[in-house]
Amino acid sequence: MTTPTTLPDPGGSESERPAGAADSAPPDLPTSAPPRWRVVTRAAGTVWVNRKARLGLVVLAFFALLALLAPVLAPYSPTAGGFERSAGPSSAHLFGTTAAGEDVLSQVIYGSRISLLVGVVAGVLSTLVAVVVGLSWGYVRGPVAEVVNFVVNLFLVIPGLPLMIVIAAYLQNSGLGMIIFVVVLTGWAWGARVLRSQTQSLRGRDFVTAAQFSGERSWRIVFREILPNMTSIIASSFFGAATAAILAESGLSFLGLGDTTQVSWGTMLFWAQNSNALLTGQWVLLLAPGLCIALLATSLSLVNFGVDGLSNPRLREGSGR
Amino acid sequence: MSLLEVQDLSVVYEPSDAAPTHAVRDVSLTLERGEFVGLVGESGSGKSTLGFALTRLSKPPARISSGRILFDGRDVAALEDEQLRAQRRGGFAMVLQSGMNALNPVRTVGNHFRDVFAAHGHVPRERRDARARELVEKVELSSTVLGRYPGELSGGMRQRVSIALALALEPQLMVFDEPTTALDVLVQHAVMRTIRELQASEGFTALLISHDLGVVLESTSRVMVMHQGVVVEDGASRDVLRDPQDDYTKMLLSHYADPRAEVVELPGLAARGGQLVTSASTAPSPGRRAHGSGSAPRVGRAASAAVVVDGVSKVYPPPRRGAATVTALDDVSMRLEPGQSMALVGASGSGKSTLAQLITGVVRPTSGTVSVGDVRVDALRGRGLRALRRDVQMVFQDPYAALNPLHTVEYTLTRPVVNYTGRSRREARARVLELLETVGLTPVEQFAAKLPHQLSGGQRQRVVIARALASDPQIIVADEPVSMLDVSLRAGVLALLEGLRAEHGVSMLYITHDLLSARVVTDQIMVLHDGRVVERGETSQVLRFPQDPYTIELLDAVPQPSRAGGAA
Repeated sequence: MTTPTTLPDPGGSESERPAGAADSAPPDLPTSAPPRWRVVTRAAGTVWVNRKARLGLVVLAFFALLALLAPVLAPYSPTAGGFERSAGPSSAHLFGTTAAGEDVLSQVIYGSRISLLVGVVAGVLSTLVAVVVGLSWGYVRGPVAEVVNFVVNLFLVIPGLPLMIVIAAYLQNSGLGMIIFVVVLTGWAWGARVLRSQTQSLRGRDFVTAAQFSGERSWRIVFREILPNMTSIIASSFFGAATAAILAESGLSFLGLGDTTQVSWGTMLFWAQNSNALLTGQWVLLLAPGLCIALLATSLSLVNFGVDGLSNPRLREGSGR
Repeated sequence: MSLLEVQDLSVVYEPSDAAPTHAVRDVSLTLERGEFVGLVGESGSGKSTLGFALTRLSKPPARISSGRILFDGRDVAALEDEQLRAQRRGGFAMVLQSGMNALNPVRTVGNHFRDVFAAHGHVPRERRDARARELVEKVELSSTVLGRYPGELSGGMRQRVSIALALALEPQLMVFDEPTTALDVLVQHAVMRTIRELQASEGFTALLISHDLGVVLESTSRVMVMHQGVVVEDGASRDVLRDPQDDYTKMLLSHYADPRAEVVELPGLAARGGQLVTSASTAPSPGRRAHGSGSAPRVGRAASAAVVVDGVSKVYPPPRRGAATVTALDDVSMRLEPGQSMALVGASGSGKSTLAQLITGVVRPTSGTVSVGDVRVDALRGRGLRALRRDVQMVFQDPYAALNPLHTVEYTLTRPVVNYTGRSRREARARVLELLETVGLTPVEQFAAKLPHQLSGGQRQRVVIARALASDPQIIVADEPVSMLDVSLRAGVLALLEGLRAEHGVSMLYITHDLLSARVVTDQIMVLHDGRVVERGETSQVLRFPQDPYTIELLDAVPQPSRAGGAA
């Protein structure tokens, strides 16, 4: 669309359409890659410098290795029964065995896979929903924003755990996918609200107005101009969501709402509770998975301290002193 | 004995994650009692670091690496915390640039004074209220402000309160760190006058830190110039003005001139003085002059669209319930011919930025019409606005905020080229390099790959200008394009804008509060006051023979080094 007053430069009006198509196809400039990598390494460095975050990363790495190398590390298959039932710790079974005669140590090791998987997948998905909803919601004005506001508030005021239980019970033991779905459904709203307020504050910056003057379309302004400026908030919202997802998975499994035949820390607690493990003196059965859940959730929260330093340099200076 | 003696002082910044910076190097200076001394330097010269060190307000990562500061014969660095606190009364006090934000918003002004008196106990309890009244009257405020909250006062009033608070400590030395920089031009002028008068009547020693040599020369009896952490000039204001010793001082001085003079010249900017006046009386409008002379043929389209604003008003809803509506613009009409350059001047709140937003389609008028060529801007939406912005581009005030910190210069410039001119990516790159060449950022390949934080303020502003040129616009709206830049960089950016306008035949609306720069880059001028046009015409005519009292007031507020030593 050229204004009638302008004299288009040679071939100007013809080449305009293909340009419109072309600018949506390749989203990246080759030249922007090297500085971006430098940004990533510098960010990783900032997180690593923070002592709490470093501890969190070490613990997180430990669990990640545990999950990856589970077949190598675990002495037995987690579902292999046939050992002595409810045995105490021994050299053959360091953590003892369950009431069904399975090796507890192997179950703890394999259980880390489910927790990490749910944490990462549900964390990524709910962050994704939060980013899409939060950013567009923060950028648009008018009635649409009001509608989104109503929906998000609805999700925020409904207590999370009861909602999860109701949905999980309604969907009936359909496994891991169901748990992830429930966690995402109940977990995105808070992140969306945080990202929305940040978007609203960035929306008023000169460089956003400048992008409008550069002829950028709205979605491009939101995702190419505004989004990269909130990386640290998105990262911290991911770690928060992942922590919540891990805790929610354990909670639902413990209540027997997940797939109880699968070995996860939550289902271990569920079976231990069912077999009155505490009464039979098998405290390891409760302690080991419980401690693992707590440690993994703590490690993610600790990493978040370092991520805070990314967005707020003042926190970074403070940690050095 | 002199009041303050600084011997070979060096201050170094040692951040934990970067190389140390030597902000102040081996500075020695003395302040005699009752002296009013100015300390001038551009950003990064170390002037504020020095001010903070003198009053012992330096915080890590800043550290005094060597040298001594003797205040009244005592080493400031050796004071214990409690001694230092006691020293704050009757010793040294500081007024900060953001002093108006230093007041606690939930406490009344009177409470701030009571706190100071209670902390030092130097005023008997029954005298305190009277003393507070006396102090606010000294800074030319009515004593009723004592019962009000900081939020109810204007920026200038708050800065006056913070000066009065510093005075409450009865200091022997007052350090003013850019006390008026964040204030509006007219307010700035008035506050500076108050400071001068106070210094004369109270007789304290004052150190005025500023980036503006004009302001300093106008107020102080002695001036020191700092450059890269070193004091390069130290002498009586009159002598510095008449016969500056250092090249840096000479360079700074060359950037001042009287906008009322017959001929005004700045480094790199040709005169637009008397000749214009004569040519204007005989020749047709200056717009057509630029158009007809068109020695350099325009690459793309010729500027042909005039901006016509007809009877425009803009009314904003009241800021608080029950308050009156805000009329930003009241029945303003104007016409910007193709190729013409027009200045829009006024103090903050005069509506000049609102007018710019109306012309660029960022906001819509409450009544009246705005058109560019035959396009009605006030009726445009989405697509139409995009098309308009191909022709109407904007240069932003703050080069630090107008560039996305995460995008390279190349990306920033490629976007408008691709969006507006429909070039392929490879062709766009050629155009981007050409644009960088145009704004003088060479070697172009190197600058294209840089991120904003690797550029200086002036370089950033050049990128912002290049971006505005990318779509080959007909009209450029420049909103205070140099107000955030150091004096030495301003002329360069202005010369660039002026050169581009002449060469490409672009029309320019130059929004500013700085009449001197308006004089050198524009032909026409329009003075806005409270949303109304109070004066308009040829820039040189209006500024040389102003008619409206408001224009005269604005002209009087322009810092004049030539008035140096007036206070002495």
